Amino acid sequence: MKDYIIRTQNLGFTYDDGDENSSSEIPALSGVDINIERGEYVAILGHNGSGKSTLAKLLNLILTPTVGKIYIDGKDITSDDFTEDDVFEMRSKIGMVFQNPDNQLVATIVEEDVAFGPENLGLPREEIRRRVDSSLELVGMSDYARHAPHKLSGGQKQRVAIAGIIAMKPRVIIFDESTAMLDPQGRHEVVDIMERLNKDEGITVINITHYMEEAARADRVIVINDGKIALDGTPREVFANVDKLRSMGLEAPQGNELILELKHAGLNIKGESLTESECIETLFKFLS
Amino acid sequence: MISDITLGQFFPGKSPIHRLDPRTKIILATIFIVAVFLASNPATFLLLAITTVVLIGISRISMKVILKSIKPLVFILLFTAILNILMTKGDSAPLLSFWVIEIYTEGVARAVMMALRVIILIVGTSILLTYTTSPISLTDGLESLLSPLKLIRIPVHTFAMMMSIALRFIPTLVEETEKIMNAQKSRGADFTSGSLVKRAKALIPLLVPLFVSSFKRAEELATAMECRCYRGDKNRTKLVKLQYKGIDFVFTFIFALIFGGVICLNIIPYKFDSFGLIYDIIFYKV
Amino acid sequence: MNEILKIENLSYVYGKGTPFEKVALDNVSVSFEKGKITGLIGHTGSGKSTLVNLLNGLYKPTSGTVYLDGKDIWENPKEISKIRFKVGLVMQYPEYQLFDETVRADIGFGPRNLGLSEAEVEERVLEAARFSGIGDDLLDKSPFELSGGQKRRVAIAGIIAMRPDVLVLDEPAAGLDPRGRREILGSLRDYANRMNASVILVSHSMEDMAHYCDNVVVMNSAKVYRTGTVNEIFSDAEGLISVGLDVPMISRVAKELTSRGIALEGELYTVNGVKDAILRYVKEGKR
Repeated sequence: MKDYIIRTQNLGFTYDDGDENSSSEIPALSGVDINIERGEYVAILGHNGSGKSTLAKLLNLILTPTVGKIYIDGKDITSDDFTEDDVFEMRSKIGMVFQNPDNQLVATIVEEDVAFGPENLGLPREEIRRRVDSSLELVGMSDYARHAPHKLSGGQKQRVAIAGIIAMKPRVIIFDESTAMLDPQGRHEVVDIMERLNKDEGITVINITHYMEEAARADRVIVINDGKIALDGTPREVFANVDKLRSMGLEAPQGNELILELKHAGLNIKGESLTESECIETLFKFLS
Repeated sequence: MISDITLGQFFPGKSPIHRLDPRTKIILATIFIVAVFLASNPATFLLLAITTVVLIGISRISMKVILKSIKPLVFILLFTAILNILMTKGDSAPLLSFWVIEIYTEGVARAVMMALRVIILIVGTSILLTYTTSPISLTDGLESLLSPLKLIRIPVHTFAMMMSIALRFIPTLVEETEKIMNAQKSRGADFTSGSLVKRAKALIPLLVPLFVSSFKRAEELATAMECRCYRGDKNRTKLVKLQYKGIDFVFTFIFALIFGGVICLNIIPYKFDSFGLIYDIIFYKV
Repeated sequence: MNEILKIENLSYVYGKGTPFEKVALDNVSVSFEKGKITGLIGHTGSGKSTLVNLLNGLYKPTSGTVYLDGKDIWENPKEISKIRFKVGLVMQYPEYQLFDETVRADIGFGPRNLGLSEAEVEERVLEAARFSGIGDDLLDKSPFELSGGQKRRVAIAGIIAMRPDVLVLDEPAAGLDPRGRREILGSLRDYANRMNASVILVSHSMEDMAHYCDNVVVMNSAKVYRTGTVNEIFSDAEGLISVGLDVPMISRVAKELTSRGIALEGELYTVNGVKDAILRYVKEGKR
């Protein structure tokens, strides 16, 4: 029996748009079965409106599933006897970082913002202090502890937001398009932190994104299309399906695209092409 | 650019006044305000004026800043002073009299005291509160001082949280306003010319997007706060706890003495006489 | 000459005379041609956003001149708002600027400010909607009901409806998925060709630059680092990396292959370009 931290069964969700007459209610998510093991690094890829953000909101009970079950750490969070206190405890285990860094910072001073979560958990002051300091250190923002958040760059703000989540010591952190509004440098910083959290701290990381470069760095990629799971596997397996990804409005890494185009043009190339060096080797072997 | 404006006129520093607990400062400011309103003779005003000058000295806020804060008041001060001088009738013979105008010593005295009262009030409370206390610690101080009101079910924590979130988002909104203004200017919108009605109408393309995005921000922030386990002040602890220190007691003691002084000085009856006001202020003997 | 917009010795200083003084643009000269798409790249803080705000007169230059069709745009400061109809600026995340009751009215805001008749406004709205790929069925909806990608297109249509001679877009595809990116960036070529307009595209994405632009202006610490055609700029990978930028992955692959003795030739910065180069290489029997 594997150790699943998140498990969903036949999960589905339909937005209630308040229009009673609308018969064309398309579910945002349907029949989703996902098992995520403790300590995994998973990317969830999908175009805008594919249902990937709905999934994130369900896992944290911001939305309640229309059908199906969700188990967090073995507990059924969709059952009727899941009380408000249980929700509170569950949220302390599953942290969430959102898209717009501005809209998740609460306090006017960086360290007070990081302290917000631990304060809500009712921890003793000395413990809060320890957690704030170590979290800021982990994201490399210790020097900015007494700064005002609105003067930071987008990437820095997002790192503060991440510190605020880490300080709650969650088992899982879900990044809901957390890099979409950042410049390339900010994106690098945030993805580096994701990887560090996963490898060094053993936190399960779920990165919801539409950037395939980011997805390619995860251990596992789940592609969601029209509310359903379309592909699920290692990046190598998933990105081999270039045509399928394109039909879903996504892209594969340029190397994969190039090799596929060459195959379409009649060349008989074999080999891996997910990373830059793999692509070079494959082409070099073929051309020399 | 408008995003450069500083909020609440707070000047960070390390002076003894900066280091006072915000609750102490709120209490001291209250004592100070009451004392200023009780003051009724030159001696008490002298005491309060000295107190204010000493406060300025301790806080190390520059005189320039203080003068700047009084500047907008100059017109009102002059206006009320002139009214006081012209309208007050005294018992003795007028100091000056020409045409229908008669100026009495009492009028001049009243005008000067009125002006002094306003200036001392503004400068004193600014030094104690806004100049030396960050808005956020002011909010913390208020929350702590008002916490007994929780017993009668007034949601003090909620109000304080609302205030601090407002403070957090003001710079963001200022920035956003500038951005939307530039975007609409790029579509030929004109915010600065035309009649009042036209200008008011020109604000719609600015205000609608601002409201829409504020609501969106509010919603997202609420979600983010919930995800960080916020549920009001139930079981909540704080990273920074307000604590009274020695300096708070020293200041409170001194202010108590000053307040006592004001009350004692006020008891001494005072009547304007022919020596004139300046003489009074300088040579008044207790 | 085919150039429409030309800037000469342009400088801009924020907060001049205050302790926060910061030179955002330092003696920059560059020009933009009709019918061409010019990419503007540089890392955050390189001065490209400041430059964009100077092009349509939102900021006034500290020194130097912006010439539109040979005329200084600040010649008559009172007329500066007229410049904004000629140099259309699509800001970052432009969907925030939507405000009107219908998509139609919102797109018509610019043309109406231009003082056009209702018939002309309607014509412009329809034209701009077609350019930006907004279906007729959306025109009478509220802009707030649309999806993120649709809102973005409506906002862009709002600028296109003014028929600017120069269309400046600051990161028009930020935050969109690959399909959304393609739809928006793909429509720019159409605009440049049909209106013989100069399109200036600010982007962080090297792939987009390589794919959609003719010329590139590279900015670095408040100065223009280099200008040239896409081919010229991307063949100098070291230079780009030295100013904190990067080249598309596919360019690095082609470069490495070339350095190992497989001499590829052609436009080695898009997947299609490299594909063609490899096919030629194979065909010429070099393998």
